[in-house]
Amino acid sequence: MEETVQVLSFFLRLVEPFIAIIITVMCFISLRGSRRREEPLIVLEDEQEEIGYPVLYWENSIGRSRNSDICIQDMTVSRDHAVLLRRNDGWFITDTGSKSGVYVNGEKVEERQQVAIGDRIRIGTTCLVLRRASEAGANVSRRNIRKSIPSPLILAIITLYVSVFAMQTLFNTGAMEAAICAGAFIAEIWVFFAVSAIAFKRPNIELEALAMLLTGTGIMVSTAHNPRQAFVQLAASAVGVGLYFFILWFIEIPDRVSKWYIIISVLSLVLLASTLVIGTSINGAKNWIVLGPVSIQPSEFAKIAYIFVGASTLDVLQTKKSFTMFIAVSALTIGILVLMSDFGSAVIFFVTFLIISFMRSGDIKTVILAVTAALLGVVIMLTVKPYIAQRFEAWGHVWEYADSSGYQQVNSLIYSASGGMFGVGTGLGWLQYLFASENDLVFCLICEEDGCILALLTAAIIGGFMLYARGVATRARSTFYSISACSAAGLLVFQAALNIFGVTDILPLTGVTLPFVSYGGSSLAACWGLLAFIKAADERTYSRHRPKKTVSSEKPRRSTAQDEGFVEI
Amino acid sequence: MRKTRSRSFPVLLMTLAFFAGLIYFIVNLYVHSSSWSSMPQNGHLSDGTGLEHAGTITDRNGVVLAHSVDGQRLYNDDEQIRRACLHVVGDDSVNIGTAIQTVYRSEISGYNFVFGLGAPKDFQNGAGMTLTIDSAVQKAAYQALGSNRGAVVVYNYKTGEIICLVSTPTYDPQYKPEDIETNDAYEGAYLNRALSSTYPPGSTFKLITAAAALESIDDVENRKYMCTGSENIGGKEISCVEASGEIDFAQALMYSCNCYFAHLSLELGKDKMTTKAELEGFNKNLIIDGIETATSKYDVTCANENELAWSGVGQYNVMETPINMAVRSAAVANGGTPVMPRIVRHIDGIADPMLNIGSAKTGQAMMSPSVAQKLSDMMERTVNEYYGKYYVSDRLTVCAKTGTAEVGNGKPAHAWVTGFSRDEDCPLAFSVIVENGSSGYQAAIPVASAAINAAADALRSAS
Repeated sequence: MEETVQVLSFFLRLVEPFIAIIITVMCFISLRGSRRREEPLIVLEDEQEEIGYPVLYWENSIGRSRNSDICIQDMTVSRDHAVLLRRNDGWFITDTGSKSGVYVNGEKVEERQQVAIGDRIRIGTTCLVLRRASEAGANVSRRNIRKSIPSPLILAIITLYVSVFAMQTLFNTGAMEAAICAGAFIAEIWVFFAVSAIAFKRPNIELEALAMLLTGTGIMVSTAHNPRQAFVQLAASAVGVGLYFFILWFIEIPDRVSKWYIIISVLSLVLLASTLVIGTSINGAKNWIVLGPVSIQPSEFAKIAYIFVGASTLDVLQTKKSFTMFIAVSALTIGILVLMSDFGSAVIFFVTFLIISFMRSGDIKTVILAVTAALLGVVIMLTVKPYIAQRFEAWGHVWEYADSSGYQQVNSLIYSASGGMFGVGTGLGWLQYLFASENDLVFCLICEEDGCILALLTAAIIGGFMLYARGVATRARSTFYSISACSAAGLLVFQAALNIFGVTDILPLTGVTLPFVSYGGSSLAACWGLLAFIKAADERTYSRHRPKKTVSSEKPRRSTAQDEGFVEI
Repeated sequence: MRKTRSRSFPVLLMTLAFFAGLIYFIVNLYVHSSSWSSMPQNGHLSDGTGLEHAGTITDRNGVVLAHSVDGQRLYNDDEQIRRACLHVVGDDSVNIGTAIQTVYRSEISGYNFVFGLGAPKDFQNGAGMTLTIDSAVQKAAYQALGSNRGAVVVYNYKTGEIICLVSTPTYDPQYKPEDIETNDAYEGAYLNRALSSTYPPGSTFKLITAAAALESIDDVENRKYMCTGSENIGGKEISCVEASGEIDFAQALMYSCNCYFAHLSLELGKDKMTTKAELEGFNKNLIIDGIETATSKYDVTCANENELAWSGVGQYNVMETPINMAVRSAAVANGGTPVMPRIVRHIDGIADPMLNIGSAKTGQAMMSPSVAQKLSDMMERTVNEYYGKYYVSDRLTVCAKTGTAEVGNGKPAHAWVTGFSRDEDCPLAFSVIVENGSSGYQAAIPVASAAINAAADALRSAS
């Protein structure tokens, strides 16, 4: 009997990674295939020169600079002259501090001004007319964008995956909690789908499905060892999904978000600073706030606030070139984290700072300056508190420190190797008995119990988020979304790298969580929050608000302009 | 928008680096998986399980030393063989760090990269292994050691195959004694003394001093010395066991005159002595088919004159493993260059290029062929004229050198003998230590004699 169960569990383990691979491949193919093609729907026509400038993006920089989206070879045009942008109610133009100004139909543009088909826009000495692409003779084909894979199919396969996982755990350990957790999680993903598709009318779910795959893996790995943790994860994932919907709603109108900029920065800093005062120290870092039965890690949520503060729309980027405020917020945030001894988070924030500041300004000097300052800070730290260096003594030669500071890494490597490609079975591993096995060591725990294929797949999905975020960077509805998506995905990738490579002795061990997978309620909820930024970069996310092509009877001229949006599916 | 996207390039680089790191990890995992998973810390193997379906381990003649039947690990039927082979084969645990069942745990228990240790027990096919040892020789050597603590190494200096590797105290792996942790009789029983223990080599070290002197001091062979039993050398007394009278080089080696070699080592100096010792395996790691052995030590950087003199006769702080001593003798036998010892003849279905199993490996030259020839002749003369040819072996032409290493604390000296046979059909190098055996001649030679005679019988009956 026992042998039969063993064999059954073994075959389920063989199937498990393949289901996960199918889901991953399906989702990424669907995401890639159903992207809009970059084709213009409106054109800026220079009647004198007979040049048509195709308008390809939601936000387009106009200027003499060769890197401008619309590059005008005219000495009277400033390098970054203006921004032509599209919002739900039509096309707008903003003068971004040009020398010679922007004129629409002869009137000087002071603030953001709406423009319509046929309007004449004068930039420097160049006069441009806004035209439909079809009229201007551009090649417009509303053609074969591949249909995305139906969401219910993807969710059905995830349901299968979680069930197989639960069955395997049940065979191995007999823990009924596995079935309960799996059931609850499956219910959660279907409810999520119902809310997303019906209430919010969002057409696709691939990104969330991938995150669900990661979250589900984390929950199922926890059930076998510590059911209580699994229930915490379940609750946290529900909170995270709530946060995800909230953020998607909150950042829907990018111009509105910038008004909250200061309030969010201050809130985030106050929350972090209050942790220093009333926080509780758990495992060496004073980064917890305990509220009755719930303990939260404010630094995780500060990541979301930080991305908010960092990203901007293109017209703001071009007008206010300096971002002193953002640098100040960054310095304070990182400073507070260092005071908390939460060095892992401090490094993550620092890398995110580099990503955001470079994406905003393209200024390598800022990056070099920041890195120099950080190195200086590290040197001072090590001089004042030399014992911090001891944390890194084992790095690169953990086998010599197998019984001391290299203990976690050595065991992680031993057990990763023991698992092979398909693992020894959920709940049957040995790594689970080590301290922090479900958060710091979770990558190797999956290697041991469910095989390195699945472990690598979880890592690859996180990397895939970044590739996706970059893939839609020019298709996003604003640079606000491009910047926030790339930096949120970059943050997740960097954090995953610290986690995975720390425990496998490729980088020093810093004790950060593996996004979506590690045990940790605040971390999981915050990851879902960050996912919202990546989702928002997909222009289809908010398509429900775009009216179908119905010609409005009043104000025909304006509504025509409004329709000249991009193809939506 | 385009600018924003191009500015995300560094993040793309970071992500590519992340993927590269993952690839690096998986390659690393693939290359090291078998050695990582057989680490003694591995709970899948060290909790006394993992061998229920492990492969069969046999000796050179196909005698089963350990095998698994119906989920149980069974060892050889003969209790004496079980005890004699304990340190080579190992037991169910991983306490004996140098044992085959510890070092090759993952291979014999059916580890492979695809399924790890995760395949159901019925699906696991542990690899079988053939060792180079001979269980009959093991038994003979173990019985000759009797109740003494000590170790025996015998290996074929032409092929490198270890024929006998015994360490005592030992126990029966099939019925592990319950009082093993508390009973003094089992103190250090988990240690294979031949590989993992170092002892002062005593007079056997004179072979190194002699080789160095033959190479760098002109006409040293004709140098005469009047041994009165002791002399003040380098500020303190150097003493011999007895006064040998007027002796030449060969006689000094034969009668093991400490004063003679003390003078030679002072004349050679720290640098030449250190160079020679390191050439002969000191301060270096010796790994036998993946089994790590202890490092023999020769360090005279802080020694005064008298201490340097004592180091030349294998005292002071000189420490050596029995296996290294056997390799030194193999070098003398083999014209100055040793064939390194090995113990695994074959692993079923596993061709690990890292291990290079089953083929002879030649070591670094330790001395010139002419010096090796001279030492061989002197060692043979020592056996024939001093120890007694038939006392050492009635069937082999043996060259040997004994040692009696003082250990202090009023305890009897450790008894050593090392050497080799000159017979073409039985090229055996050996070393034996009997802890606190008082005299190399009385305690160690009989054990060596039993082991090499048994080995000779085994080799001759096989051919």
